[in-house]
Amino acid sequence: MSAATTKTLDVKKSPMWSSGHGHDVIATRTLGFWLYMLSDAMMFTALFAAYVVLGHTINAAGGPWSTAVAHPSVAFRETVWLFSSVLAYGLAMIALKKGHRGGVMLGIAAAILIAFGFLGADLHEVADLLRMGATPERSGFLSAFFTLVFYHGLHVIVGIAWMLVMLVQVASLGLTENVVYRLLNLRLFWHFQAVMWVFMFTFLYLRGAIV
Amino acid sequence: MTHSTDNAWNHPEAQLASGRYIVAYIVGLALMGLSFGLVEKHAFTPLGLGIAISAIGALAAIVQCVLLLHMNLSETQIWHTVALVLFIPLFVLAIGLTAWMFHGLYRRTMMMPVPHASSTAPTVAKSGA
Repeated sequence: MSAATTKTLDVKKSPMWSSGHGHDVIATRTLGFWLYMLSDAMMFTALFAAYVVLGHTINAAGGPWSTAVAHPSVAFRETVWLFSSVLAYGLAMIALKKGHRGGVMLGIAAAILIAFGFLGADLHEVADLLRMGATPERSGFLSAFFTLVFYHGLHVIVGIAWMLVMLVQVASLGLTENVVYRLLNLRLFWHFQAVMWVFMFTFLYLRGAIV
Repeated sequence: MTHSTDNAWNHPEAQLASGRYIVAYIVGLALMGLSFGLVEKHAFTPLGLGIAISAIGALAAIVQCVLLLHMNLSETQIWHTVALVLFIPLFVLAIGLTAWMFHGLYRRTMMMPVPHASSTAPTVAKSGA
């Protein structure tokens, strides 16, 4: 058995479930996590479906309608915050490509700070709505609206917590295989929030303002 | 990349990162800004606006999937792309069929006028109640 044959088997031909030398830990784990992200997207799908159903005027139950609770200008500011945080994490991944530990940490730290900007704007928006009496329990429509807003906000909180953990791990463990696959999974998670936000912004905030 | 002696960041998936993230950022913000501007200016009829922002939103999502999530047919990414492509019909059908079923239900069952106590309630119901 020549070395060349073995190498070909290792890199190209071994199935990913192989526990032999060809086992590509990083590729297996990112694919697994990506499938999990798609099942998370099914959660968003269910919530969007509920929002479509409860978006009929009768479900406002005489309370505030979407034109009163969806503020596109506030949401656009949130878009800028979220996309900027996603970009900062992307820049951290460009630093990772060259193995620059300091650059990775700088990018993640920036992504965390900017994500707090998004969270602040999000909480401010929700507080304003609650003050004007648009509470989740007011109507079926508002329940569906707030559930989507809270579910997305929860993702941002989880993302911030995960980035804080990775900041510590990059500092303490360095760019080991385990740290790298976690950074790549976090990239999938964080960048996917930008895609989900496109739907939130378009169908919750913009669509809500024109109905 | 399969050996612990190699630097883990040399893995093909870590090497996918590129300056295209900046392009994704600019294009994403530009498209969302365009949708925002159209809605703020009431550029079209409500139906036209709905179609326009849906199309722009779909375009923005595709751009981000390609540039941010690296959806392509390369050896490292093909299965990520296949999983997403198979997910899209589930996404569309789950929302579309639910909307269709309840739209039919509302049309057949809501005989009485919708009570609107608050002035913030809409003046025009989409399906005419």
